[in-house]
Amino acid sequence: MAGSTADPAVATSSALARRLLDIETSDRSSWLDRAACQAVIARGLPDTRGEPWKYTNVNRWYDVALATHDPAALGIEAPDDVLVVDFDDPRTRPLTAAHRGKAFDLEEHPLAAVNGLLLDAGMAIVVPDDWHGEAPVRISDDGPSYQHILLVVGRGASITLVEEACGFTHRIVEAVVEPGGQLRHLRRQRPTPRRECSLVAVHLDRDARYELAQSSRGAELRRNDVVVTLAGSGAQVTVNGAWRLIDREHLDTQVAVNHVAPQGFSRQTYRGVVADRARAVLNGRIHIAAGAKATDAALNTKNLLATDSAEVYAKPELEIFESDVQCSHGATVGTLDEEAVFYLRSRGLSDKAARALLVDGFLREAIADDEGAARLEVVA
Amino acid sequence: MPEHAPELDDLVSQDYAAGFVTDIAADTLPPGLDEQVVRAISAKKEEPEWMTEWRLDAFRRWQAMRPPRWAHVSFPDIDFQAISYFSAPKGDRPKSLDEVDPELLRTYEKLGIPLHERAKLAGVDESEQAVPEVAVDAVFDSVSVATTFKDKLREAGVVFCSMSEAIAEHPDLVRRYLGSVVPKPDNFYSALNSAVFSDGSFVYIPKHTRCPMELSTYFRINAENTGQFERTLIIADEGSYVSYLEGCTAPMRDDNQLHAAVVELVALDDAEIKYSTVQNWYPGDEQGRGGIYNFVTKRGACLGARSKISWTQVETGSAITWKYPSVMLRGADSVGEFYSVALTRNRQQADTGTKMVHIGPRTKSTIVSKGISAGHSRNSYRGLVRMNPAAAGARNYTQCDSLLIGDTCGANTFPYIESKLPAAVVEHEATTSKVSDEQLFLCQQRGIDPEKAVAMIVNGFCKDVFRTLPMEFAVEAAKLLEVSLEGAVG
Amino acid sequence: MSLLEVRDLHVNVDDKPILKGLDLTVEAGEVHAVMGPNGSGKSTLANVLAGRPGYDIDVGSITLDDEDLTAATPDERAHRGLFLAFQYPIEIPGVSNMEFLKAAVDAHAVHTGLSEPSAVDFIKRARATAEQLHLSADFLKRGVNEGFSGGEKKRNEILQMLLLEPRLAVLDETDSGLDIDALQVVAEGINAFRAGDNAIVLVTHYQRLLNYVVPDHVHVLIDGRIARSGDHTLAHTLEDEGYGWLDG
Repeated sequence: MAGSTADPAVATSSALARRLLDIETSDRSSWLDRAACQAVIARGLPDTRGEPWKYTNVNRWYDVALATHDPAALGIEAPDDVLVVDFDDPRTRPLTAAHRGKAFDLEEHPLAAVNGLLLDAGMAIVVPDDWHGEAPVRISDDGPSYQHILLVVGRGASITLVEEACGFTHRIVEAVVEPGGQLRHLRRQRPTPRRECSLVAVHLDRDARYELAQSSRGAELRRNDVVVTLAGSGAQVTVNGAWRLIDREHLDTQVAVNHVAPQGFSRQTYRGVVADRARAVLNGRIHIAAGAKATDAALNTKNLLATDSAEVYAKPELEIFESDVQCSHGATVGTLDEEAVFYLRSRGLSDKAARALLVDGFLREAIADDEGAARLEVVA
Repeated sequence: MPEHAPELDDLVSQDYAAGFVTDIAADTLPPGLDEQVVRAISAKKEEPEWMTEWRLDAFRRWQAMRPPRWAHVSFPDIDFQAISYFSAPKGDRPKSLDEVDPELLRTYEKLGIPLHERAKLAGVDESEQAVPEVAVDAVFDSVSVATTFKDKLREAGVVFCSMSEAIAEHPDLVRRYLGSVVPKPDNFYSALNSAVFSDGSFVYIPKHTRCPMELSTYFRINAENTGQFERTLIIADEGSYVSYLEGCTAPMRDDNQLHAAVVELVALDDAEIKYSTVQNWYPGDEQGRGGIYNFVTKRGACLGARSKISWTQVETGSAITWKYPSVMLRGADSVGEFYSVALTRNRQQADTGTKMVHIGPRTKSTIVSKGISAGHSRNSYRGLVRMNPAAAGARNYTQCDSLLIGDTCGANTFPYIESKLPAAVVEHEATTSKVSDEQLFLCQQRGIDPEKAVAMIVNGFCKDVFRTLPMEFAVEAAKLLEVSLEGAVG
Repeated sequence: MSLLEVRDLHVNVDDKPILKGLDLTVEAGEVHAVMGPNGSGKSTLANVLAGRPGYDIDVGSITLDDEDLTAATPDERAHRGLFLAFQYPIEIPGVSNMEFLKAAVDAHAVHTGLSEPSAVDFIKRARATAEQLHLSADFLKRGVNEGFSGGEKKRNEILQMLLLEPRLAVLDETDSGLDIDALQVVAEGINAFRAGDNAIVLVTHYQRLLNYVVPDHVHVLIDGRIARSGDHTLAHTLEDEGYGWLDG
């Protein structure tokens, strides 16, 4: 376990960077290239002045970055035939050679470099070519501070990943979906008083598909970075997200869908409800590189503010370098339609019941019940 | 196989008609910037002590600031000591149009800007399409060289003069409002402008007055290695209305030139200001040599209840555009509008958009942005819509469309939405499309040549913005787009 | 001299041969119907006549009024009097129908050396023609094909044909997707256009339209060649017996 020092309060990016480069980091095998992680950190960790952390005070995460947590094991369940091995296992070496660096760029995710240096538990999961089955891979919540899970979905294979994404300091879920493979990812986040960050990074080969359904309750500080790269032609992505925040919770969701190859298809749908003094941030980016012809990409986000002191920051972005595309985004921020509330009340529902029903329906535009929407209900 | 549609890229060439240089004796300060230069500019303009101090304060603040880096534009660092901060045609400012150097008059004539007050002929049938009267303030490099129709405007109580004159003749209004909408340290370039601004236009519309004609300022950069730092202040008093037009051109030169203007608009209760810009600064050549760096801060304050500020811009020029005409919506029920067409080609870079800050209750804003990218250009929309806690019942609607021509350009959309208020509604939509081969083929099949077809399709794409321009400007804007899209058809 | 002569036309689309040696001669005053099963090359013929990009002529020639158009651009062909009514008319957002029609008519006027019609005369004529096709005046103000129903789009094609007065009108499946009322309106438009100094090529899958516009010649296109030609009774035979009897 790394950094078990007496004073965890570090507070600033430069102080943390110095500490990280000084301490003896874990001798566990890292999936990430340790020297590359050090180089990124040496160039400087992000601070609150930059665009990526405009609305979330990253110093509050730095404060807990070196704190000690229970070094529990990483809980992973997988069907038979699906290989689950520790990063220490020599069987991960060919995976390193084949896939390292594909799913995300370390430069753009400096917190992943911190994870790379301080890694407590890292596991690789390999779904064989053409594997099909009902049984999902499950990743449980809690566990050690720094976690890294690599999932390789073989050619033509199809699998569901059910992830409880809570109870760590930083978790990376990295997936490579080989040609024709399919990954369905159900990601659920329970409320927590902690400060935690995660990165989901997915690389899609030709005709591969990825579906993410992420339902999030709040945390004192919760930051979810999602980056999906459509690297092979004909790849398809659906990212759906729903969140419901109360009290002083803070959720920052940063999603980047990168179209690199032709004939890609992507849809992003977000629905968020923010109450009390909570704060929700969404940055949803569609990037279309030159040559990604016949791309069809769209993003839609809708946000409800339930009280006067809640805050929403939405930034849907388009970056387009190819003309042969269909691309659009839409964003709204507002409150419940009072006409609709009245309509339901005229049918006999109480004001409270009417609003609850409308909020539930609103969230279900992004996430179905069996995908975790039911768990977004807040007992008022 | 027919020799079919020419490559779209070929349709987008450059043809910059305003690229000539006027040969005129100028009084130019040597390059460089320090307190002495700021004092020298103030002295040349015979400014009062308070104005000199105001400038020096801005200069000191500027020294502690850094150029902004967040825009999606790239260019080598500007050496602010290599720029001359003042250049004016030699001689005293002419007292009347008759005294204006004929060479200057010819320059504006060549640009199609009327610096005469040709009265409408008596007895002319109303139905004849009489050219509407437009009062012009002509700014040449650092100074205003002529302002037309001043007498007629004075009758209506409207003040339309150069900023230098306003400082001398309307010091109370200037002291009260200058820097009130764009504070000196608002950003790097506004601080620089506050220190060294040379001239610009000043407008005051008295209470309950509808300005009897369109006002316009025409900016011309002529001198080499000179920055242009004009300052415009428009105050619309209660219940008044003014429509203001702004045009800009510069000669073709291989060096980049800096244009860092500040425009402040103030609308009191029930006042309305309509501000239209057709920006055609020299954009640089195909390789990206030369062109104007257009780093401009434009902001309006809807101070009064039910006031309205409307920005319309048609941007085809400049090597780099960095500009976000904004509205601070303070007054209850005030309205902000932003309509923009930005066309980039060759190696042009544009990062432009708006800020609508909703402060007062029931404030409304509308944003319509049309970006057209061609060649190797980069065209970004960047907009902020902020709903502050007191803006109950506020609404924003934003529509942002990008059109790409060819495969080497880029179009970005960065809308920032910040809301702290459930009782406010923000709606944003954006799309990206291209001039499709199918559309071009349909036009060609009907006998319309591809060049005309592209211009027609682009004009259709921009229609929502053009219809907000004053009529004669709309025609000019459409023509400008057509010229900008014109070129060698393969 | 014939109005249209197509000689030994071989056309590839996406490197696949579609037309494989097609000959067609159309005289002034004639209406020709080109029929055939799906994939026989009917629409390819219509598009290649108009010079649509992506339709590569391997061998053969297209001559209109003794002028070789094989290498001409789509707008040059239009100026010479060739008109294509699109099977799927394209939308051009923001450009009003009137503006578009005027631009097209002006382009033709420039080419023929005539002066452009005055805006007033043109608007009058466009309105009268629209009325003839049961289209409201409001229709002319809307964006080109923007939000038009299927029937409106097809009638808009006929409107353009009537205003541009081409020498040769090629109508690509103009009858598809029309209800019986709309079909009659379209047919009336075509019959009004029909005259001694022009010609029409109707490309159609069904014989339905030919009840209203009676062709002088009917050709059956099979696998890229004209397999059979005859008078209007051939269309009825096809309706009754299908295309199968022509195989082999």
